[in-house]
Amino acid sequence: MNTGYLFMIAGLLSFGTLGIFHKLADVKDCRPSALNALIYGWSLVFSVITVTLMRTGPAAPLPVFWIAIPFGVSASIAILAFQMGIRHGNIATSWLAINLSSAIPTVASIAIYGEPLNTRKTIALLMIPVSIALLWVDKKRGDDRVETAASAKGAR
Amino acid sequence: MKRDSRLWIQLMAVAFVTNGLGPFGLKILSERGLAGFQPQYLVYWYLAGAVFGALAFFRVSRRVYRREVCLGALMGLCSLGGQTFTGLALDRGLPGHIVFPLTTGGSLFLVAAAGIVLFKERVGGYGVAGLVLGIVSLITLSAA
Repeated sequence: MNTGYLFMIAGLLSFGTLGIFHKLADVKDCRPSALNALIYGWSLVFSVITVTLMRTGPAAPLPVFWIAIPFGVSASIAILAFQMGIRHGNIATSWLAINLSSAIPTVASIAIYGEPLNTRKTIALLMIPVSIALLWVDKKRGDDRVETAASAKGAR
Repeated sequence: MKRDSRLWIQLMAVAFVTNGLGPFGLKILSERGLAGFQPQYLVYWYLAGAVFGALAFFRVSRRVYRREVCLGALMGLCSLGGQTFTGLALDRGLPGHIVFPLTTGGSLFLVAAAGIVLFKERVGGYGVAGLVLGIVSLITLSAA
């Protein structure tokens, strides 16, 4: 068996476990702002260890630094908002909602760098808002059901 | 705590946009011919995220709990591990049109299954349709 498949499965399990840990953190009452700061703090430590082991060191041309700053802040805002959001929703649907955001770099690459847009990409991009709308309807119906049940219980 | 579907969609919209923008820096890096500096880029990327995260945290508290430190470390490892293993799979010659759809679709399926089985989450008919459509769209997008 090609070892590439083993690495691919390890990648799949790593990303999946990350999603499960987000939910576990919510269940264990971890505060979103503390968790976000610690995820990035630890990731910084691990990435410094990686560049040290690769013997490349952290030195890079100045544009690398300036490009990284706004996008790093943006990703940190994303984790903070996500961790706050799963207090109000399911991990099953929330994890999909945040992963669907891969449409944004795709659209930006098409708009800014003129990457070609084929039929498959168009269909996939069109399915994303439909999927989000369905998740939203499901969430709304679920919350309405809970509210109706609660008020019926209160009336009794 | 009362679950608020309006707040959920607002926070998910923020996460959707900012998470989508996050990786776009790699594209800019590559377009500027700086792709060779990706490991250093990730150091500064995480540094910016950590500084923002620390500022947001210190506005509300000064104390961290052990469970937050442990889960933060495990989640940081998973994040870096996911990216590293995916990169290694590509290095071993697996084509991107196999690696990206399987890691994306597989991890989404894993999390959805864990939500329903381990955390006893209830997903209705619309939710299941949304999940299936979303996973199919992401697999199609990463294979396109």
